[in-house]
Amino acid sequence: MIPRNVRRALAGFSWPIYVLLYTPLALVAWYSFAPAPHTQGLSVYAYGVMLHDHSVFAALRRSLILAIGSAIISTVLGVLLGYGLSRFRTPGAKGVLANMPSLIIYTPIIMPSLVFGISELIFFNFVHRFTGLLGAGLGTMMIAHITFQVPYVTLTVFARLAGLDQNLFDAAHDLYANGLKSFWHLIVPVVQPAIIGGFLLGITLSIDDFTISFFTAGPGSVTLPIYIYGAIARKGVTPEINAIGTLMIGAVILLAVLHFIITRHRARGAELAAKGTI
Amino acid sequence: MSGAVTEVALEQARQRRRLWMTSGPGLFWIVLFLLIPSLVLLGIAFMSADDYGAPILPLSLQPFQQVAGFSLLGWDAGNISILLRSLQQAGIATLVSAVLSYPLVFFILSRPEPIRPLLLLFIVLPSWTNQVVRTYAWLELLGPNAPLTWVAHHLHLVAPDLGIAPGSFAVTTGLAYNYLPYMIVPLYASAEKLDWTLVEAGRDLYASGAKLFFHTVFPQTLPGLLSGVIFVAIPAFGDYVVPQLLGGDKALMIGSLIANQFTETPDWPYGAALTLIMLVVTGLGLVAFRVLSRRLGGAEEASI
Repeated sequence: MIPRNVRRALAGFSWPIYVLLYTPLALVAWYSFAPAPHTQGLSVYAYGVMLHDHSVFAALRRSLILAIGSAIISTVLGVLLGYGLSRFRTPGAKGVLANMPSLIIYTPIIMPSLVFGISELIFFNFVHRFTGLLGAGLGTMMIAHITFQVPYVTLTVFARLAGLDQNLFDAAHDLYANGLKSFWHLIVPVVQPAIIGGFLLGITLSIDDFTISFFTAGPGSVTLPIYIYGAIARKGVTPEINAIGTLMIGAVILLAVLHFIITRHRARGAELAAKGTI
Repeated sequence: MSGAVTEVALEQARQRRRLWMTSGPGLFWIVLFLLIPSLVLLGIAFMSADDYGAPILPLSLQPFQQVAGFSLLGWDAGNISILLRSLQQAGIATLVSAVLSYPLVFFILSRPEPIRPLLLLFIVLPSWTNQVVRTYAWLELLGPNAPLTWVAHHLHLVAPDLGIAPGSFAVTTGLAYNYLPYMIVPLYASAEKLDWTLVEAGRDLYASGAKLFFHTVFPQTLPGLLSGVIFVAIPAFGDYVVPQLLGGDKALMIGSLIANQFTETPDWPYGAALTLIMLVVTGLGLVAFRVLSRRLGGAEEASI
Protein backbone atom coordinates (compact mmCIF):
# COMPACT_ATOMS: atom_id res chain seq x y z
CA MET A 1 0.00 0.00 0.00
CA ILE A 2 2.37 2.69 1.27
CA PRO A 3 6.02 2.09 0.33
CA ARG A 4 8.46 1.49 3.15
CA ASN A 5 10.47 4.71 2.73
CA VAL A 6 7.26 6.82 2.69
CA ARG A 7 6.06 5.04 5.82
CA ARG A 8 9.30 5.85 7.53
CA ALA A 9 9.08 9.52 6.51
CA LEU A 10 5.47 9.69 7.73
CA ALA A 11 6.47 8.23 11.10
CA GLY A 12 9.44 10.57 11.35
CA PHE A 13 7.13 13.53 10.79
CA SER A 14 4.21 12.34 12.91
CA TRP A 15 5.80 11.25 16.18
CA PRO A 16 7.24 14.73 16.84
CA ILE A 17 3.77 16.17 16.16
CA TYR A 18 2.30 13.81 18.74
CA VAL A 19 4.94 14.98 21.20
CA LEU A 20 4.20 18.61 20.36
CA LEU A 21 0.46 18.09 20.93
CA TYR A 22 1.13 17.00 24.50
CA THR A 23 4.06 19.29 25.36
CA PRO A 24 1.94 22.26 26.53
CA LEU A 25 -0.26 19.99 28.65
CA ALA A 26 2.80 18.22 30.09
CA LEU A 27 4.36 21.59 30.96
CA VAL A 28 1.20 22.56 32.85
CA ALA A 29 1.62 19.40 34.93
CA TRP A 30 5.39 19.93 35.31
CA TYR A 31 5.05 23.51 36.57
CA SER A 32 2.31 22.47 38.99
CA PHE A 33 5.04 20.74 41.03
CA ALA A 34 6.89 24.03 41.48
CA PRO A 35 9.05 24.30 44.63
CA ALA A 36 7.50 25.79 47.74
CA PRO A 37 8.60 29.35 48.57
CA HIS A 38 12.22 29.57 49.75
CA THR A 39 12.95 25.94 48.86
CA GLN A 40 14.25 24.03 45.89
CA GLY A 41 13.17 20.90 44.05
CA LEU A 42 9.77 19.57 43.10
CA SER A 43 6.95 19.81 45.60
CA VAL A 44 3.20 19.44 45.91
CA TYR A 45 3.04 22.85 47.57
CA ALA A 46 0.69 24.26 44.89
CA TYR A 47 -1.73 21.41 45.47
CA GLY A 48 -1.73 22.24 49.18
CA VAL A 49 -2.54 25.87 48.40
CA MET A 50 -5.33 24.70 46.09
CA LEU A 51 -6.81 22.39 48.73
CA HIS A 52 -7.01 25.25 51.22
CA ASP A 53 -8.70 27.58 48.75
CA HIS A 54 -12.43 27.50 49.39
CA SER A 55 -13.29 29.31 46.16
CA VAL A 56 -11.59 26.52 44.17
CA PHE A 57 -13.72 23.92 45.90
CA ALA A 58 -16.89 25.90 45.35
CA ALA A 59 -15.96 26.26 41.66
CA LEU A 60 -15.21 22.54 41.35
CA ARG A 61 -18.54 21.65 42.96
CA ARG A 62 -20.39 23.95 40.53
CA SER A 63 -18.53 22.52 37.54
CA LEU A 64 -19.48 18.99 38.55
CA ILE A 65 -23.12 19.86 39.19
CA LEU A 66 -23.23 21.66 35.85
CA ALA A 67 -21.58 18.85 33.88
CA ILE A 68 -23.52 15.95 35.36
CA GLY A 69 -26.86 17.75 35.66
CA SER A 70 -26.82 19.09 32.11
CA ALA A 71 -25.63 15.75 30.71
CA ILE A 72 -28.49 13.87 32.39
CA ILE A 73 -31.18 16.21 31.08
CA SER A 74 -29.67 16.46 27.59
CA THR A 75 -29.40 12.67 27.43
CA VAL A 76 -33.11 12.31 28.21
CA LEU A 77 -34.08 14.96 25.64
CA GLY A 78 -31.59 13.72 23.05
CA VAL A 79 -32.54 10.05 23.31
CA LEU A 80 -36.23 10.86 22.86
CA LEU A 81 -35.46 13.20 19.98
CA GLY A 82 -33.14 10.77 18.20
CA TYR A 83 -35.62 7.93 18.67
CA GLY A 84 -38.55 10.01 17.46
CA LEU A 85 -36.74 11.22 14.35
CA SER A 86 -35.52 7.78 13.37
CA ARG A 87 -38.88 6.07 13.87
CA PHE A 88 -41.81 8.39 13.32
CA ARG A 89 -40.95 10.56 10.36
CA THR A 90 -44.01 10.54 8.16
CA PRO A 91 -42.89 9.02 4.87
CA GLY A 92 -44.91 11.42 2.69
CA ALA A 93 -43.71 14.66 4.27
CA LYS A 94 -41.32 16.66 2.11
CA GLY A 95 -39.94 20.17 1.85
CA VAL A 96 -39.24 22.68 4.58
CA LEU A 97 -41.47 21.06 7.19
CA ALA A 98 -39.78 17.66 6.85
CA ASN A 99 -36.33 19.25 7.08
CA MET A 100 -37.29 21.49 9.98
CA PRO A 101 -36.13 19.08 12.72
CA SER A 102 -32.67 18.62 11.20
CA LEU A 103 -32.34 22.38 10.66
CA ILE A 104 -33.15 22.94 14.34
CA ILE A 105 -30.80 20.20 15.49
CA TYR A 106 -27.84 21.50 13.50
CA THR A 107 -28.19 25.14 14.65
CA PRO A 108 -26.41 24.68 18.00
CA ILE A 109 -23.61 22.75 16.26
CA ILE A 110 -22.83 25.27 13.55
CA MET A 111 -23.43 28.45 15.55
CA PRO A 112 -20.10 29.95 16.72
CA SER A 113 -19.98 29.61 20.52
CA LEU A 114 -19.49 33.34 20.98
CA VAL A 115 -22.75 34.10 19.14
CA PHE A 116 -24.40 31.30 21.09
CA GLY A 117 -23.23 32.71 24.43
CA ILE A 118 -24.16 36.30 23.67
CA SER A 119 -27.62 35.33 22.37
CA GLU A 120 -28.26 33.52 25.64
CA LEU A 121 -26.90 36.45 27.68
CA ILE A 122 -29.33 38.86 26.03
CA PHE A 123 -32.26 36.46 26.17
CA PHE A 124 -31.82 35.62 29.87
CA ASN A 125 -31.32 39.30 30.63
CA PHE A 126 -34.61 40.24 28.93
CA VAL A 127 -36.54 37.39 30.52
CA HIS A 128 -35.17 38.34 33.91
CA ARG A 129 -36.01 42.00 33.48
CA PHE A 130 -39.63 41.35 32.52
CA THR A 131 -40.50 38.29 34.64
CA GLY A 132 -37.89 38.11 37.40
CA LEU A 133 -37.11 34.54 36.31
CA LEU A 134 -33.83 33.14 34.96
CA GLY A 135 -31.41 35.46 36.74
CA ALA A 136 -27.85 34.76 35.59
CA GLY A 137 -26.38 31.88 37.60
CA LEU A 138 -25.91 28.13 37.60
CA GLY A 139 -29.48 27.68 36.31
CA THR A 140 -28.95 29.73 33.16
CA MET A 141 -25.59 28.02 32.59
CA MET A 142 -27.36 24.67 32.92
CA ILE A 143 -29.96 25.66 30.30
CA ALA A 144 -27.23 26.76 27.89
CA HIS A 145 -25.17 23.62 28.41
CA ILE A 146 -28.20 21.41 27.81
CA THR A 147 -28.89 23.32 24.58
CA PHE A 148 -25.49 22.63 23.05
CA GLN A 149 -25.39 19.00 24.22
CA VAL A 150 -28.82 17.85 22.95
CA PRO A 151 -27.83 17.76 19.23
CA TYR A 152 -24.77 15.60 19.88
CA VAL A 153 -26.72 13.07 21.97
CA THR A 154 -29.46 13.08 19.32
CA LEU A 155 -27.04 12.39 16.49
CA THR A 156 -25.33 9.60 18.46
CA VAL A 157 -28.66 7.89 19.14
CA PHE A 158 -29.96 8.52 15.63
CA ALA A 159 -26.84 6.97 14.06
CA ARG A 160 -27.31 3.87 16.20
CA LEU A 161 -31.02 3.48 15.40
CA ALA A 162 -30.71 4.27 11.70
CA GLY A 163 -28.57 1.16 11.26
CA LEU A 164 -31.20 -1.01 12.90
CA ASP A 165 -33.31 -3.61 11.10
CA GLN A 166 -36.84 -2.24 10.75
CA ASN A 167 -38.18 -5.81 11.08
CA LEU A 168 -37.28 -5.76 14.76
CA PHE A 169 -39.97 -3.14 15.38
CA ASP A 170 -42.52 -5.11 13.34
CA ALA A 171 -41.65 -8.25 15.29
CA ALA A 172 -42.16 -6.41 18.58
CA HIS A 173 -45.46 -5.07 17.22
CA ASP A 174 -46.57 -8.57 16.20
CA LEU A 175 -45.85 -9.76 19.70
CA TYR A 176 -48.34 -7.17 20.95
CA ALA A 177 -45.76 -4.87 22.48
CA ASN A 178 -47.26 -1.37 22.65
CA GLY A 179 -45.21 1.77 22.06
CA LEU A 180 -43.96 2.16 25.61
CA LYS A 181 -43.20 -1.53 26.03
CA SER A 182 -41.24 -1.81 22.82
CA PHE A 183 -39.41 1.40 23.73
CA TRP A 184 -38.37 -0.06 27.07
CA HIS A 185 -37.59 -3.66 26.07
CA LEU A 186 -36.28 -3.15 22.55
CA ILE A 187 -35.08 0.41 22.02
CA VAL A 188 -33.42 1.07 25.35
CA PRO A 189 -31.23 -2.06 25.32
CA VAL A 190 -30.30 -1.52 21.68
CA VAL A 191 -29.35 2.14 22.10
CA GLN A 192 -27.78 1.63 25.53
CA PRO A 193 -24.23 2.12 24.20
CA ALA A 194 -25.40 5.28 22.45
CA ILE A 195 -27.06 6.48 25.65
CA ILE A 196 -23.89 5.92 27.68
CA GLY A 197 -21.78 7.39 24.87
CA GLY A 198 -24.09 10.41 24.58
CA PHE A 199 -24.02 10.99 28.32
CA LEU A 200 -20.21 10.87 28.45
CA LEU A 201 -20.04 13.11 25.39
CA GLY A 202 -22.35 15.58 27.14
CA ILE A 203 -20.09 15.66 30.21
CA THR A 204 -17.02 16.09 27.99
CA LEU A 205 -18.62 18.97 26.07
CA SER A 206 -19.65 20.61 29.33
CA ILE A 207 -16.18 20.55 30.89
CA ASP A 208 -14.61 21.58 27.58
CA ASP A 209 -16.70 24.74 27.31
CA PHE A 210 -15.63 28.16 28.46
CA THR A 211 -17.12 30.74 26.08
CA ILE A 212 -20.79 29.87 26.56
CA SER A 213 -20.36 29.43 30.31
CA PHE A 214 -18.62 32.79 30.56
CA PHE A 215 -21.52 34.71 29.03
CA THR A 216 -24.31 32.89 30.88
CA ALA A 217 -22.67 32.88 34.33
CA GLY A 218 -23.65 35.20 37.13
CA PRO A 219 -21.43 36.65 39.86
CA GLY A 220 -22.24 33.72 42.18
CA SER A 221 -21.70 30.91 39.70
CA VAL A 222 -17.97 30.87 39.02
CA THR A 223 -17.00 27.43 37.67
CA LEU A 224 -13.45 26.11 37.36
CA PRO A 225 -12.73 27.40 33.81
CA ILE A 226 -14.09 30.85 34.71
CA TYR A 227 -12.04 30.82 37.90
CA ILE A 228 -8.87 29.97 35.95
CA TYR A 229 -9.58 32.59 33.29
CA GLY A 230 -10.14 35.29 35.91
CA ALA A 231 -7.03 34.31 37.88
CA ILE A 232 -4.83 34.42 34.75
CA ALA A 233 -6.24 37.82 33.80
CA ARG A 234 -5.47 39.15 37.31
CA LYS A 235 -2.06 37.70 38.13
CA GLY A 236 -0.93 35.46 35.27
CA VAL A 237 -0.27 31.72 35.40
CA THR A 238 0.65 30.57 38.92
CA PRO A 239 1.62 27.07 40.18
CA GLU A 240 -1.81 26.89 41.82
CA ILE A 241 -3.53 27.47 38.47
CA ASN A 242 -1.29 24.77 37.00
CA ALA A 243 -2.35 22.39 39.76
CA ILE A 244 -6.03 22.95 38.92
CA GLY A 245 -5.24 22.63 35.21
CA THR A 246 -3.39 19.36 35.81
CA LEU A 247 -6.37 17.88 37.64
CA MET A 248 -8.71 18.97 34.82
CA ILE A 249 -6.47 17.45 32.17
CA GLY A 250 -6.20 14.26 34.22
CA ALA A 251 -9.97 14.05 34.57
CA VAL A 252 -10.49 14.35 30.81
CA ILE A 253 -7.88 11.68 30.05
CA LEU A 254 -9.57 9.38 32.56
CA LEU A 255 -12.98 10.07 30.99
CA ALA A 256 -11.60 9.40 27.50
CA VAL A 257 -10.03 6.10 28.52
CA LEU A 258 -13.32 5.09 30.16
CA HIS A 259 -15.25 6.01 27.02
CA PHE A 260 -12.78 4.12 24.83
CA ILE A 261 -13.01 0.97 26.94
CA ILE A 262 -16.82 1.05 27.13
CA THR A 263 -17.35 1.60 23.39
CA ARG A 264 -14.69 -1.04 22.61
CA HIS A 265 -16.36 -3.51 24.93
CA ARG A 266 -19.82 -2.80 23.56
CA ALA A 267 -18.63 -2.97 19.96
CA ARG A 268 -17.21 -6.42 20.59
CA GLY A 269 -20.51 -7.46 22.22
CA ALA A 270 -22.48 -6.24 19.22
CA GLU A 271 -20.11 -8.08 16.88
CA LEU A 272 -20.64 -11.34 18.75
CA ALA A 273 -24.40 -10.78 18.78
CA ALA A 274 -24.36 -10.22 15.03
CA LYS A 275 -22.58 -13.53 14.54
CA GLY A 276 -25.31 -15.22 16.56
CA THR A 277 -23.09 -16.12 19.49
CA ILE A 278 -25.24 -14.31 22.03
CA MET B 1 -62.33 0.20 1.27
CA SER B 2 -63.13 3.34 3.28
CA GLY B 3 -62.22 1.36 6.40
CA ALA B 4 -58.72 0.82 5.05
CA VAL B 5 -58.40 4.50 4.23
CA THR B 6 -59.45 5.52 7.77
CA GLU B 7 -57.03 2.95 9.12
CA VAL B 8 -54.18 4.54 7.17
CA ALA B 9 -55.22 8.05 8.24
CA LEU B 10 -55.46 6.90 11.86
CA GLU B 11 -52.05 5.29 11.67
CA GLN B 12 -50.56 8.48 10.23
CA ALA B 13 -52.15 10.57 12.97
CA ARG B 14 -50.77 8.14 15.56
CA GLN B 15 -47.30 8.39 14.02
CA ARG B 16 -47.48 12.16 14.04
CA ARG B 17 -48.55 12.19 17.70
CA ARG B 18 -45.67 9.89 18.63
CA LEU B 19 -43.24 12.05 16.69
CA TRP B 20 -44.35 15.08 18.68
CA MET B 21 -44.29 13.25 22.00
CA THR B 22 -40.74 12.06 21.49
CA SER B 23 -39.15 14.83 19.41
CA GLY B 24 -41.23 17.73 20.69
CA PRO B 25 -39.48 18.46 23.99
CA GLY B 26 -35.96 18.47 22.53
CA LEU B 27 -36.89 20.57 19.49
CA PHE B 28 -38.90 22.96 21.68
CA TRP B 29 -35.91 23.36 23.97
CA ILE B 30 -33.54 24.34 21.15
CA VAL B 31 -36.09 26.70 19.58
CA LEU B 32 -36.85 28.43 22.89
CA PHE B 33 -33.30 28.67 24.20
CA LEU B 34 -31.31 29.19 21.02
CA LEU B 35 -33.30 30.09 17.91
CA ILE B 36 -35.44 32.75 19.57
CA PRO B 37 -32.49 34.27 21.50
CA SER B 38 -30.38 34.50 18.35
CA LEU B 39 -33.25 36.22 16.50
CA VAL B 40 -33.51 38.69 19.39
CA LEU B 41 -29.77 39.34 19.08
CA LEU B 42 -30.08 40.06 15.37
CA GLY B 43 -33.06 42.34 16.02
CA ILE B 44 -31.06 44.40 18.50
CA ALA B 45 -28.57 45.21 15.73
CA PHE B 46 -31.21 47.58 14.28
CA MET B 47 -31.90 49.50 17.50
CA SER B 48 -30.40 52.56 19.17
CA ALA B 49 -28.30 52.47 22.33
CA ASP B 50 -29.07 54.40 25.52
CA ASP B 51 -26.37 55.90 27.75
CA TYR B 52 -25.66 52.51 29.31
CA GLY B 53 -25.36 50.72 25.97
CA ALA B 54 -28.72 48.98 26.35
CA PRO B 55 -30.94 48.71 23.26
CA ILE B 56 -33.82 51.21 22.95
CA LEU B 57 -36.20 52.35 20.24
CA PRO B 58 -36.25 53.97 17.67
CA LEU B 59 -34.91 51.59 15.09
CA SER B 60 -31.65 52.80 13.64
CA LEU B 61 -28.84 51.92 11.30
CA GLN B 62 -26.29 53.66 13.47
CA PRO B 63 -24.83 50.38 14.81
CA PHE B 64 -23.80 49.48 11.27
CA GLN B 65 -22.19 52.88 10.75
CA GLN B 66 -20.18 52.15 13.89
CA VAL B 67 -19.19 48.78 12.44
CA ALA B 68 -18.01 50.51 9.25
CA GLY B 69 -15.80 52.72 11.39
CA PHE B 70 -17.78 55.97 11.63
CA SER B 71 -18.03 57.63 15.05
CA LEU B 72 -18.19 61.11 16.54
CA LEU B 73 -14.45 61.31 15.99
CA GLY B 74 -14.73 60.63 12.25
CA TRP B 75 -13.77 57.54 10.27
CA ASP B 76 -11.39 54.94 11.57
CA ALA B 77 -10.01 51.86 9.80
CA GLY B 78 -9.67 49.90 13.06
CA ASN B 79 -12.68 47.63 12.60
CA ILE B 80 -11.83 46.76 9.03
CA SER B 81 -8.29 45.81 9.96
CA ILE B 82 -9.64 43.65 12.82
CA LEU B 83 -11.97 41.91 10.39
CA LEU B 84 -9.14 41.34 7.90
CA ARG B 85 -6.83 40.11 10.65
CA SER B 86 -9.48 37.62 11.82
CA LEU B 87 -9.89 36.28 8.28
CA GLN B 88 -6.12 36.04 7.89
CA GLN B 89 -5.63 34.26 11.24
CA ALA B 90 -8.43 31.79 10.48
CA GLY B 91 -7.01 31.21 6.99
CA ILE B 92 -3.47 30.53 8.18
CA ALA B 93 -4.67 28.28 11.01
CA THR B 94 -6.76 26.29 8.50
CA LEU B 95 -3.83 25.97 6.11
CA VAL B 96 -1.47 24.86 8.88
CA SER B 97 -3.89 22.23 10.14
CA ALA B 98 -4.49 20.93 6.59
CA VAL B 99 -0.75 20.64 5.90
CA LEU B 100 -0.18 18.82 9.20
CA SER B 101 -3.21 16.58 8.77
CA TYR B 102 -2.21 14.80 5.55
CA PRO B 103 0.98 13.18 6.88
CA LEU B 104 -0.69 12.43 10.22
CA VAL B 105 -3.69 10.74 8.60
CA PHE B 106 -1.57 8.59 6.33
CA PHE B 107 0.77 7.80 9.19
CA ILE B 108 -2.23 6.41 11.13
CA LEU B 109 -3.38 4.48 8.06
CA SER B 110 0.10 2.97 7.64
CA ARG B 111 -0.13 1.40 11.10
CA PRO B 112 -1.81 -1.96 11.91
CA GLU B 113 -5.60 -1.68 11.99
CA PRO B 114 -6.19 -2.47 15.70
CA ILE B 115 -4.13 0.47 16.96
CA ARG B 116 -5.51 3.06 14.51
CA PRO B 117 -8.44 4.13 16.73
CA LEU B 118 -5.98 4.66 19.58
CA LEU B 119 -3.66 6.81 17.43
CA LEU B 120 -6.66 8.86 16.34
CA LEU B 121 -7.85 9.19 19.95
CA PHE B 122 -4.46 10.60 20.98
CA ILE B 123 -4.84 13.36 18.40
CA VAL B 124 -8.37 14.25 19.46
CA LEU B 125 -7.77 13.97 23.21
CA PRO B 126 -6.14 17.39 23.83
CA SER B 127 -9.18 19.09 22.29
CA TRP B 128 -11.39 17.53 24.98
CA THR B 129 -9.58 19.36 27.76
CA ASN B 130 -11.05 22.69 28.71
CA GLN B 131 -10.65 25.55 26.19
CA VAL B 132 -9.00 27.80 28.75
CA VAL B 133 -6.60 25.13 30.03
CA ARG B 134 -5.39 23.95 26.63
CA THR B 135 -5.00 27.54 25.45
CA TYR B 136 -3.18 29.00 28.45
CA ALA B 137 -0.96 25.88 28.34
CA TRP B 138 0.74 27.44 25.30
CA LEU B 139 1.83 30.34 27.50
CA GLU B 140 4.15 27.80 29.17
CA LEU B 141 5.91 27.40 25.82
CA LEU B 142 5.45 30.79 24.18
CA GLY B 143 4.99 33.24 27.04
CA PRO B 144 7.64 35.65 28.35
CA ASN B 145 10.78 33.73 29.40
CA ALA B 146 9.28 30.40 28.26
CA PRO B 147 11.41 27.76 26.41
CA LEU B 148 10.42 28.62 22.83
CA THR B 149 10.61 32.36 23.54
CA TRP B 150 14.18 31.75 24.71
CA VAL B 151 14.96 29.99 21.41
CA ALA B 152 13.31 32.79 19.43
CA HIS B 153 15.29 35.35 21.44
CA HIS B 154 18.57 33.69 20.48
CA LEU B 155 17.47 33.82 16.83
CA HIS B 156 16.94 37.57 17.41
CA LEU B 157 13.20 37.31 16.79
CA VAL B 158 11.76 38.58 20.08
CA ALA B 159 12.80 40.15 23.35
CA PRO B 160 12.71 37.52 26.12
CA ASP B 161 10.61 39.61 28.50
CA LEU B 162 7.95 40.22 25.84
CA GLY B 163 7.54 36.62 24.71
CA ILE B 164 6.15 35.14 21.48
CA ALA B 165 2.81 35.32 23.27
CA PRO B 166 1.03 37.71 23.33
CA GLY B 167 1.17 38.13 19.57
CA SER B 168 -0.18 37.05 16.20
CA PHE B 169 2.08 34.01 15.89
CA ALA B 170 0.87 32.69 19.24
CA VAL B 171 -2.76 33.19 18.16
CA THR B 172 -2.21 31.23 14.92
CA THR B 173 -0.50 28.45 16.87
CA GLY B 174 -3.30 28.35 19.44
CA LEU B 175 -6.01 28.25 16.78
CA ALA B 176 -4.29 25.49 14.79
CA TYR B 177 -3.77 23.49 18.01
CA ASN B 178 -7.39 23.92 19.06
CA TYR B 179 -8.95 22.94 15.76
CA LEU B 180 -6.50 20.39 14.32
CA PRO B 181 -8.77 17.42 15.26
CA TYR B 182 -11.63 19.01 13.28
CA MET B 183 -9.44 18.67 10.19
CA ILE B 184 -7.99 15.26 11.01
CA VAL B 185 -11.27 13.45 11.67
CA PRO B 186 -13.08 14.16 8.35
CA LEU B 187 -9.84 13.76 6.40
CA TYR B 188 -9.25 10.39 8.06
CA ALA B 189 -12.80 9.30 7.26
CA SER B 190 -12.29 9.94 3.55
CA ALA B 191 -8.70 8.65 3.43
CA GLU B 192 -9.84 5.39 5.04
CA LYS B 193 -12.00 4.70 1.97
CA LEU B 194 -9.20 5.49 -0.45
CA ASP B 195 -9.09 3.29 -3.55
CA TRP B 196 -5.46 2.18 -3.53
CA THR B 197 -5.70 0.51 -6.93
CA LEU B 198 -5.73 4.01 -8.45
CA VAL B 199 -2.50 4.82 -6.65
CA GLU B 200 -0.99 1.54 -7.87
CA ALA B 201 -2.12 2.33 -11.41
CA GLY B 202 -0.44 5.72 -11.18
CA ARG B 203 2.73 4.10 -9.94
CA ASP B 204 2.64 1.60 -12.80
CA LEU B 205 2.52 4.59 -15.14
CA TYR B 206 5.75 5.84 -13.55
CA ALA B 207 4.15 8.70 -11.62
CA SER B 208 5.89 9.41 -8.35
CA GLY B 209 6.10 11.82 -5.47
CA ALA B 210 4.04 14.97 -5.71
CA LYS B 211 2.58 14.02 -9.08
CA LEU B 212 1.31 10.70 -7.76
CA PHE B 213 -0.14 12.40 -4.67
CA PHE B 214 -1.93 15.20 -6.53
CA HIS B 215 -3.35 12.93 -9.21
CA THR B 216 -4.45 9.92 -7.18
CA VAL B 217 -4.62 10.63 -3.43
CA PHE B 218 -5.62 14.28 -3.34
CA PRO B 219 -8.77 14.10 -5.53
CA GLN B 220 -10.04 11.13 -3.52
CA THR B 221 -9.56 12.83 -0.16
CA LEU B 222 -10.86 16.21 -1.32
CA PRO B 223 -14.35 15.77 0.25
CA GLY B 224 -12.76 15.16 3.65
CA LEU B 225 -10.40 18.09 3.24
CA LEU B 226 -13.25 20.42 2.26
CA SER B 227 -15.36 19.43 5.30
CA GLY B 228 -12.26 19.91 7.44
CA VAL B 229 -11.68 23.40 6.06
CA ILE B 230 -15.24 24.39 7.04
CA PHE B 231 -14.98 22.80 10.49
CA VAL B 232 -11.73 24.64 11.21
CA ALA B 233 -12.18 28.00 9.48
CA ILE B 234 -15.61 28.90 10.90
CA PRO B 235 -14.89 28.41 14.60
CA ALA B 236 -11.34 29.79 14.24
CA PHE B 237 -12.70 32.98 12.64
CA GLY B 238 -15.01 33.74 15.57
CA ASP B 239 -12.84 32.32 18.35
CA TYR B 240 -12.82 34.21 21.62
CA VAL B 241 -10.57 32.36 24.08
CA VAL B 242 -7.41 32.08 21.95
CA PRO B 243 -7.05 35.75 20.97
CA GLN B 244 -7.96 36.80 24.51
CA LEU B 245 -5.32 34.65 26.20
CA LEU B 246 -2.58 34.54 23.55
CA GLY B 247 -3.22 37.66 21.48
CA GLY B 248 -3.07 40.68 23.72
CA ASP B 249 -4.02 44.11 22.42
CA LYS B 250 -1.99 43.91 19.22
CA ALA B 251 -3.69 40.79 17.87
CA LEU B 252 -7.33 41.68 18.59
CA MET B 253 -9.80 39.55 16.63
CA ILE B 254 -13.46 40.09 15.86
CA GLY B 255 -14.55 37.71 18.64
CA SER B 256 -12.93 39.86 21.32
CA LEU B 257 -14.27 43.04 19.73
CA ILE B 258 -17.82 41.64 19.87
CA ALA B 259 -17.42 40.37 23.42
CA ASN B 260 -16.18 43.78 24.61
CA GLN B 261 -19.52 45.33 23.59
CA PHE B 262 -21.27 43.06 26.06
CA THR B 263 -18.78 43.11 28.93
CA GLU B 264 -16.24 45.91 29.41
CA THR B 265 -17.81 48.83 27.54
CA PRO B 266 -21.40 47.81 26.87
CA ASP B 267 -23.00 48.82 23.60
CA TRP B 268 -25.41 46.03 22.75
CA PRO B 269 -26.70 47.30 19.38
CA TYR B 270 -23.12 47.83 18.14
CA GLY B 271 -22.11 44.38 19.39
CA ALA B 272 -25.18 42.82 17.77
CA ALA B 273 -24.38 44.56 14.46
CA LEU B 274 -20.80 43.25 14.63
CA THR B 275 -22.18 39.76 15.27
CA LEU B 276 -24.49 40.06 12.28
CA ILE B 277 -21.57 41.13 10.07
CA MET B 278 -19.50 38.23 11.37
CA LEU B 279 -22.29 35.80 10.53
CA VAL B 280 -22.75 37.33 7.08
CA VAL B 281 -19.03 37.01 6.34
CA THR B 282 -19.14 33.40 7.56
CA GLY B 283 -22.20 32.73 5.42
CA LEU B 284 -20.62 34.31 2.34
CA GLY B 285 -17.51 32.24 2.94
CA LEU B 286 -19.63 29.09 3.14
CA VAL B 287 -21.48 29.88 -0.09
CA ALA B 288 -18.25 30.71 -1.95
CA PHE B 289 -16.80 27.51 -0.63
CA ARG B 290 -19.79 25.44 -1.72
CA VAL B 291 -19.52 26.80 -5.25
CA LEU B 292 -15.79 26.15 -5.29
CA SER B 293 -16.10 22.62 -3.95
CA ARG B 294 -18.82 21.79 -6.49
CA ARG B 295 -16.49 23.01 -9.23
CA LEU B 296 -13.78 20.78 -7.83
CA GLY B 297 -16.19 17.88 -7.70
CA GLY B 298 -16.28 17.57 -3.93
CA ALA B 299 -19.00 15.35 -2.48
CA GLU B 300 -21.91 16.54 -0.34
CA GLU B 301 -21.44 16.26 3.39
CA ALA B 302 -23.45 13.59 5.15
CA SER B 303 -26.50 14.78 7.03
CA ILE B 304 -29.38 13.46 9.07
